[in-house]
Amino acid sequence: MSKRHSNASEMAKIDEQDILKRIQDPQSRRRAFEEIVSVYSRQLYWKIHYVVQNHDDTDDVLQNTFIKAWKGLENFKGDSAIFTWLYRIAYNESLTFLKQRKQMTSIDDEDFVEQASFVADEYFDGDNTQELLMQAVSTLPAKQRQVFCMKYFEDKKYEEISELVGTSVGALKASYHIAVEKITNFIKSKE
Amino acid sequence: MSTKNNRIFAPEGGRYPFKVSDEYFDNLTARIMEQIDSVEQEVPEKAEEVPARSAQLFSIHKNRRRNLWISTMSIAASLVLIATIALKFIPMPSSTPVEQQKAETTAMYTPDNYNEDLMNYTMVDNVDVYYYLAAEDFEE
Repeated sequence: MSKRHSNASEMAKIDEQDILKRIQDPQSRRRAFEEIVSVYSRQLYWKIHYVVQNHDDTDDVLQNTFIKAWKGLENFKGDSAIFTWLYRIAYNESLTFLKQRKQMTSIDDEDFVEQASFVADEYFDGDNTQELLMQAVSTLPAKQRQVFCMKYFEDKKYEEISELVGTSVGALKASYHIAVEKITNFIKSKE
Repeated sequence: MSTKNNRIFAPEGGRYPFKVSDEYFDNLTARIMEQIDSVEQEVPEKAEEVPARSAQLFSIHKNRRRNLWISTMSIAASLVLIATIALKFIPMPSSTPVEQQKAETTAMYTPDNYNEDLMNYTMVDNVDVYYYLAAEDFEE
């Protein structure tokens, strides 16, 4: 996924007011939700992938996200943008998934830092340097990983990220700075 | 900063090094909507089942309670009837059996009866008694 590709896909937006109206009507609800899925699934996929870093797991979390969104559709009154609402569900689902995965690995060592390996991943499309970068990213905490990926790979503005994750711009800048420092140190340690 | 770091943090930023086929995204919406439809089908079935089961259970409980209540009432009524018949037709003794037995025992063991029984038991008659009494007088 290229940096610009992500922004281009986010250009595809829908008339939120119209969608909200159709969501309220049981007759048109399903069709409206199908449009939401169609427009936002690709963006959500990558946001989830930043956290779980695996295609199959991302697919599971994405499906769960939309199922939860569907179940909570009646309660969505349009207080935030549709994508922001979906993103928050997706992020929480990703965190739940990470917790479950951690429990399943049942590693006793508390100091163990999860460090993914991407060599065998058929969906990985990078060279050694990029693999090293992704390994470094995988050692970051989930939220920091999200912020770093949105800033680094999508070149998003802090204001946009702030609206999405609900954290102040200052805190996001600090988070990104710390993430860069950690990644730099990780790469140095591997050289 | 090292060479790799220089490359990673170059001003143009980075490319996210993962790819997914367009086919996956093309089918994604249909697949998710299928999932949602199957979830939707499960929910009404469960919703229908719950009241049906609870209604059935409630009716079972209701019937059981009613039967239990009828049984208890009929047993109580039978007991009352038996007791009434018993009081009417069975003659009641003037005194209690314990008192009667006590009176019989008292009558049986008056001093005379006691002596007679004692003599029968020891196989002595009046002559033997006089003999023993006379013998005692001689010894004195």
